[in-house]
Amino acid sequence: MHEVSIVEALIEQVEGEVARAGAAGKVTRLSLSIGRLSGVQPDSIRFAFELLSPGTLVENAALEIEEPPAVCVCAGCGARTELDDFCLECPSCGSRDISIQGGREMLLQTIDLDEE
Amino acid sequence: MRIVAAKKILKANDQLAEENRRKFNAAGAFCVNIVGSPGCGKTTLLEALFAQLGGTVAPAVIEGDIAGSIDAERIDALGIPVVQINTDGACHLDATMVQAAAEGFDLPTLDLLMIENVGNLVCTAGFDLGEHLRIALLSVPEGDDKLAKYPAIFRGSDALAITKVDLLPHFDFDVARVRSDMKALASKAKVFEVSAKAGTGIEEVAAWLGERMQAR
Repeated sequence: MHEVSIVEALIEQVEGEVARAGAAGKVTRLSLSIGRLSGVQPDSIRFAFELLSPGTLVENAALEIEEPPAVCVCAGCGARTELDDFCLECPSCGSRDISIQGGREMLLQTIDLDEE
Repeated sequence: MRIVAAKKILKANDQLAEENRRKFNAAGAFCVNIVGSPGCGKTTLLEALFAQLGGTVAPAVIEGDIAGSIDAERIDALGIPVVQINTDGACHLDATMVQAAAEGFDLPTLDLLMIENVGNLVCTAGFDLGEHLRIALLSVPEGDDKLAKYPAIFRGSDALAITKVDLLPHFDFDVARVRSDMKALASKAKVFEVSAKAGTGIEEVAAWLGERMQAR
């Protein structure tokens, strides 16, 4: 459950961003990008968020999680294949001369605030 | 109102890790993060490496465990400075813990700081500690399918040490498969076959480590 540490870091980061922007009010929505190869489960993030958000600035905020895929680029056949999961060989030609790009990102994209 | 952050969620950890790395660089200490399952032989590899390196380097160790100080006592018995981190349930070390632990050493007197991470193939993958190298271990009894099943940890490693190779005659463990999987996940990574018990392969790991320390 490293998702707990990640959500702790996320909440601190949101508090920091809101303070930096000089904004006030309740956070209503957070949007995140969690790459499909990041090793982090969006469901576990949601669970940890429910656990950790009460009493913080992000209590009751909606959590939007986008899950960008990775791309397998094959040096053998030149195919670029979108991946939901790691692969060890090119899904098109079976070559192992591949590189897997992207899909590892974990980003806080936007914070929506309801200013009263 | 909308704030566009577009920032890494573990940015705070990454920044601290960078700070750790700067501190290690300034002190001339080379830092290695050792990852692998519980029981894969992380502490045993450290003991064997220190025996191999002898007095040529001044090492220290940070031991990460959920509880207890069993591993730290083994390192302490070698007369090597060691700090134990107990994570109290957390499944990985992070850069804050390493920063605090590193304060327990006189860094400028060290050449090599080994961090033995919590035994875990999943959660340790996402946290940069400020190391210069990450070495992943896979022991023969764990099976040759682990790179395919836990790719993230191996993908981000600079080397893979297949440990307990003295047990190969007793297991259906295909070394060629592991080498091929590692090549697909991390084409530049070195792969070593070691047995601390039989004393094989340790010399190669020590030599490579020495090269990487020189090249820094």
